[in-house]
Amino acid sequence: MLLIIISHSCSLFSQEYINADLFDVEVEKKVNQYQSNYNFKKAGFYYIQNNWDSTLVYSMRYLNGNNKNIDLTNYSHYLRGCSFDKKEMLNEAQNEFQSITSGFEFNFLIKKKLAEIALKKSEFKKAISYLEPLIKLKEKDYKYFGKSAVFQNLGLCYLHLNDFKKAEPYLIEYVKFNEIEKDTLNLIDAYGSIANLYYNQYKDIMAIPYFEKAYRLSKSIKDFKAKQIATINMAVVEENRKNFEKALVYRKEYEQWKDSLNDQNKIYEVAKLEKEYAVKAKQKEVNFLKVENKAKLKERNGLLYSALTLLILLGVTLYFNKEKTKANNIISAQKEKLDALNVTKDKLFSIVSHDLRSSVNALKKSNTNLVNTVASKNLKEVNVLLKNNSTIVNGAYNLLDNLLNWALLQTKQSYFEITSIRLFFIVEQVVYNYKPLVQEKNIRLTNTVLKSDIVFADQESLKIILRNLLDNAIKFTNNNGTIKVYTKNSNSDYYDLVIEDSGIGMKDSTRIELLSDTELLSKKENEDIIGSGLGLQLCKSMIKKNNGIFSIESELGKGTKMIVSLPKKV
Amino acid sequence: MDNVNVLVVEDTPAESDALVKVLETNNYNVIAVARDFKNALQLFYAKSVDIIVLDIFLNGNPEGITFAEAINANPSVAKPFVFLTSSTDRKIFERAKLTQPFSYLMKPFNELEILYALEMAVEKFYNQPDVFLSENENTIISKDYLFIKKGKSLKKVLLNDIIFIEVEEKYCNIITENEKFVILISLTKISQLLDDNVFKKTHRNFIVNTQKIIEIIPGDNLIVLTGNHKATLSDTYKSILKTVRTLK
Repeated sequence: MLLIIISHSCSLFSQEYINADLFDVEVEKKVNQYQSNYNFKKAGFYYIQNNWDSTLVYSMRYLNGNNKNIDLTNYSHYLRGCSFDKKEMLNEAQNEFQSITSGFEFNFLIKKKLAEIALKKSEFKKAISYLEPLIKLKEKDYKYFGKSAVFQNLGLCYLHLNDFKKAEPYLIEYVKFNEIEKDTLNLIDAYGSIANLYYNQYKDIMAIPYFEKAYRLSKSIKDFKAKQIATINMAVVEENRKNFEKALVYRKEYEQWKDSLNDQNKIYEVAKLEKEYAVKAKQKEVNFLKVENKAKLKERNGLLYSALTLLILLGVTLYFNKEKTKANNIISAQKEKLDALNVTKDKLFSIVSHDLRSSVNALKKSNTNLVNTVASKNLKEVNVLLKNNSTIVNGAYNLLDNLLNWALLQTKQSYFEITSIRLFFIVEQVVYNYKPLVQEKNIRLTNTVLKSDIVFADQESLKIILRNLLDNAIKFTNNNGTIKVYTKNSNSDYYDLVIEDSGIGMKDSTRIELLSDTELLSKKENEDIIGSGLGLQLCKSMIKKNNGIFSIESELGKGTKMIVSLPKKV
Repeated sequence: MDNVNVLVVEDTPAESDALVKVLETNNYNVIAVARDFKNALQLFYAKSVDIIVLDIFLNGNPEGITFAEAINANPSVAKPFVFLTSSTDRKIFERAKLTQPFSYLMKPFNELEILYALEMAVEKFYNQPDVFLSENENTIISKDYLFIKKGKSLKKVLLNDIIFIEVEEKYCNIITENEKFVILISLTKISQLLDDNVFKKTHRNFIVNTQKIIEIIPGDNLIVLTGNHKATLSDTYKSILKTVRTLK
């Protein structure tokens, strides 16, 4: 008996999908027809979406509203019935279906629904009362549900009521339908049903071929449940025929299908779980990616800012580097200059000390001579030697004086005041010191500077300049030569004071070298007369400090003009 | 004409001896040599000094400057001076320069330089520049004396000794009781610098020391002066009669 219950469990629902879709189209039509009705529209929309709860809510809102339309009210009740049915609230569903008025165009669908409910509630007689009118419907109505299902259900109902006679024609009809439609699954079901019918009436000979048919058909399908039912039916049959070996084989096969089903279910479950897990994993991944994206965005911004900062830093560094390079260049230039100056200074020291040493040495020798001469009481000779000594000392003194003045000039410790000066008297004063020397060499020295020539200069430095220039002029002028000191008033801003000698003159290269800005004349072309160059260097520096200009005109062998141009005004 | 009195303030005998020798050779009258600041002040007030030659460093200190500051403090007794120094140390010079009028001479110096420095000091002190150095003038007028450049040296003439001055173009004949000599000075300058109350113009060419007038004979346009010197009184300057005490 157990077999029957299993075999008809599939019952009405196999064709559900067809009529559901078709009915959805009808609902959509209605919704479009009554666009303005918001609640019904919503209810219809949610019905099509299979969202039963929302359908119930909106259909209720419609039914509670004032805007009543019999057609829509029926539809609403129907939608609610369906929804309740889906939610297994059978009594409520039944009530809803029963509240639909007879004018409803899908009356047969209501009957079908009510039959289904009755079946579910195992109220077979009631079910039969709903089902029987459905046999004689118009052909077009059957597109909403299979006519075969009506027969099947009727058959099953009678079967359940043990009214085999009434059940038989319906089930045979059901088998015929399925044999025509070649729906294997339904055919197996149909064969099973009819086999059960006969088997329950102990009409084994009629039953067994159906069971076997069902079993054979079940081999070619993949539905484990159908296979299971067909196999267990075979097992029960064989068992009842005491053919235990076969029964055992069928049982085993049954177990196998059952396991398969379970496996399949398990697989489904596992698959479902896997799917869920995969979804979760995916979600996680998505979340992770989102977070990662955020992080990446942050990182990118961070990178951008740090790049900017670095760029700025780079710029700043470059700028400072440039500045530093500039400063370094200046420093190295200064260093070179300082080195050159140091070299010059060193040279100067060596020359000066050499000169001084020579002077003092000469003095020493002369003094020895003097002592000897004094011993011999040769007074004439003593006089000559003393004069000689005095000349040597004078030279040394001049050198030392220049050295001192040079040092003072370098350290800017010296007093310096520019005042108006009458050139004539200064020249006279300086010339006065050289009178003995000039007389000794029998040089004719004239000062023809005008008393009215006034220049602006520092008196002491002007004297130093003149002293050096005169010293040179006398030094380079041969005996019986001439030295002329005079002024040329050829410029409105300067008086040109000229010290002209008839001396040995100089080459143009020497002249240029003497006038060049930095170098001291260190070459000793002529041991006897060319000095350290310190004197001229001092002159140049002092003339510059007095806002004057120094120039030289010279011709080798004919003489030299040293020209000091001094300002007429402050 | 008298020699100019010089006070030498110099602590080194060798240098002062050389200096004195040069000065005396050039007809300066070295009235004393002071060795230090105190000594110098005493001698300055004791003697009639016309000009001072002053070593900046006395015994290692710049006492020369202190002395200059001391005599400058009293304008009525101040006299021209020349600083002597062997260094051009700027700080010392800056201080010395404050004792205006400022004249200095670097050691070692020659004869011409010291004479020049003395003349410069007198010019600067009496604020009559470019006199001795120019070719047009040779006389500086102080409150009491005329300082006249004669040859290389300076001479002085007491103003009170002058009887009258006769101007001839750019020359002036100075007539004193004992001497008669010519100086170079412009008339405008001499009339500006002489004391109006004592020296009066009596003619375009005559300036007379009123203290030396013995007799004025307006009818003959004649002024008789001490020593029987005669000066002309022109009509333009007859106003002189009003200022002279006359017997009526």
